[in-house]
Amino acid sequence: MDFNLPAEDDPRRQEIRQWFEQHPNPTYKEIAERGLSAANWPAPWGMGADPELQYIIEEEFVRAGVATPHSINAIAVNQCGQSLLTHGTEDQRQRFLPPALSCQEIWCMLFSEPSGGSDIAAVRTTARREGDHYIINGQKIWTSAADYASIGVLVARTDSTVSKHSGLSQFIIDMKSPGVTVNPIYDMTGEKPEYNEVFLDNVKVPADRLLGHEGDGWALVMQQLQTERAGMTKPGAVWGYGPTARELIHGLIETGKIEDPLIRDEAARLYIEGELLRLLVYRGMSNRINGKPAGIEGNIGKMVASPHGQQLSDLAKRTQGVAGLVKNDDVLPLPKKDYGLFSNWDYSFWFGPASTLGVGTQEILKNTVSEHILGLPRDIDPTSKIPFADINKTKGSAAA
Amino acid sequence: MDFSLSEDHEALRDSAANFLNKEVDHAALLVPGAKIEQAGYDKLWPHMVELGWPAIVVPESYGGLGMSYIDLIMIVGEMGRTLAAAPFFGTLAGAWMIEAAGSEAQKSELLGAVAAGGLKLSLAIADDDGGFENASSSAKASKTADGYTLSGRKNFVVDAASSEKIVVAADSDSGRQFFVIDRHATGVSIETLDWRDITREVCSLELDNVPAQLLENSNAHCWPWVRNRLYLMLAAESVAGIGFVLSDAVEYAKQRVAFGRPIGAFQAIKHQLAEIAGQRELAEAAVQYAAWALSEDDEKATIAATMAQSYASEAYKAAVFRNVQVFGAIGFTWEMKNHLYFKRARANSELLGSPAQQREEVMQILERKAA
Repeated sequence: MDFNLPAEDDPRRQEIRQWFEQHPNPTYKEIAERGLSAANWPAPWGMGADPELQYIIEEEFVRAGVATPHSINAIAVNQCGQSLLTHGTEDQRQRFLPPALSCQEIWCMLFSEPSGGSDIAAVRTTARREGDHYIINGQKIWTSAADYASIGVLVARTDSTVSKHSGLSQFIIDMKSPGVTVNPIYDMTGEKPEYNEVFLDNVKVPADRLLGHEGDGWALVMQQLQTERAGMTKPGAVWGYGPTARELIHGLIETGKIEDPLIRDEAARLYIEGELLRLLVYRGMSNRINGKPAGIEGNIGKMVASPHGQQLSDLAKRTQGVAGLVKNDDVLPLPKKDYGLFSNWDYSFWFGPASTLGVGTQEILKNTVSEHILGLPRDIDPTSKIPFADINKTKGSAAA
Repeated sequence: MDFSLSEDHEALRDSAANFLNKEVDHAALLVPGAKIEQAGYDKLWPHMVELGWPAIVVPESYGGLGMSYIDLIMIVGEMGRTLAAAPFFGTLAGAWMIEAAGSEAQKSELLGAVAAGGLKLSLAIADDDGGFENASSSAKASKTADGYTLSGRKNFVVDAASSEKIVVAADSDSGRQFFVIDRHATGVSIETLDWRDITREVCSLELDNVPAQLLENSNAHCWPWVRNRLYLMLAAESVAGIGFVLSDAVEYAKQRVAFGRPIGAFQAIKHQLAEIAGQRELAEAAVQYAAWALSEDDEKATIAATMAQSYASEAYKAAVFRNVQVFGAIGFTWEMKNHLYFKRARANSELLGSPAQQREEVMQILERKAA
């Protein structure tokens, strides 16, 4: 066991740092060509970096003041791009991965639907094969980046005669196709909308844009969500991003508010929880280096990290008292640093409710942890074994 | 960097588990009204000595095995998981204080005896009122012609009655110092307390002019150094205890049927158990990190050990409460072992100060760092 993080003079770190020194304002094309966009991917896309090198690279991005490709093109770099590596065709890889890694084409993920949030397999959007095309019809919702993405990864139903999990397929679609309409959703923060709804009206998608085979959709969704959840173990205010308990303590000490006994003990508790979440992230990293299975544990991390982030922002806001109800960002001072979207406690707080909703609600995560990690009996889903097309017919009697 | 346990650590843990699974038997404690006297406190000790457990963290230069604290928590964890009753905590506590405060000669003699023959020790640190750092201790040391004598009271001393020598914190003219006395010396009265956790021997101590040997390097850094290690011990016990009561509750929830389904199928049950699983993961990471930091004498060793004790003991309390709740009323009876864990969790979260007390210690470290 060795809890030392990679040192400043680590030769691998030196090499990456040198590259950033030689390329002070790198384009994302240059970054991608150096293999830094998705360093953990095999060459030629990445560097086959182990998690430790990945960690170094991420730190060096921060040090160089360059936003990481995965913060700009998260869906392509984190969640869905890897599906093309393992399940895509060579043509798909050559067409889609270079512009994705160089952030020239931004991706979005078309999964959730108005009728099924947590029950994500109950997708109603259909893909009907017609000659060398599929015709897509339906509606997606809660799609980040749909308003500016050029590529969408879509889950649609290709077969209604089989069970809901079996009839799903994934497609890589062009968001500028005729029939795609994107509308912003104004969320409770009142700030620039993060989410969109997407209408798909007879959208024509070439058959070679099918990812894997028909019926692979659910397995792909599961892989993509595990990847996303593992990334959300980090102890930030919202989904692992934004300020952490370290910054909260910094602000409380600087303002003297740490002296308040109604703040102090809770701040200490959150600090400890945040440090332990960090350890969990590193442990996940080590397990991957040592070839131990990671994956499902990411659910535990997110289950703890999401409420942790909400409590951080809540405590920060409470230091303002009633003044916190007047719209203002002046909550607690933050050390200078790039916090991405969640650059102040105020926005983190008002956005906070989303963190136990997105990427699986807290309740769904607890189901996953208790069923898949603890081995407790599954919840009853009367719709899981019958053909999807029959679900509405049996409504009312399904529970029996 | 490697945050995973090695195969050697896992092998050590598994061999401790095999031994304790075979040897630990709580049947006598599950008779209503049972006390620590029924725990068989002497039974396991000779075997533990044979296995070399008391020697694990004694440095090699004093005849010990000089293993790391990560090795240690593999064994302490298993003792916590099985609630093995033996004077292990007290012996290590005493040995650590001798390591911190003893002269070379004292360490050679006493630690050598621990490593080689399983000399049983205990550490009397708390005063009569339970305070560790009172301005004035309830035990006083007086200088005599050929050494010291101790008089007064100490309390909540783990393993005192079982031990052969006791390390006592007392006030002398030079302030707080640490002394070694013979448990059977004239003037030593020990009362085993009616302690709720009947898998651990906890005593009060009355001293009346007891001849004592001063640990010659006694200073103000000794207790914090020892306390970090005791935090680690308790936290390691707690994590393994959480693991046990969680899997115990999970197994019961799979078997117990109500309303036509195993109760573990109901979200009201399973979501609570998922919460405990999350806390167990964090507590385990905390303990392993603290063990590493103490082994490396890392600058973060104190905060790491303090965080581990605070988090793990708080989480253990939540876990035992949930365990009893899942079992329902049967889990509230003396004949079930649930209450043994419930009481150990409570004891672990008070023995060295409450989790809130340790959070305050963490906060003070952070404030000093920021200043």
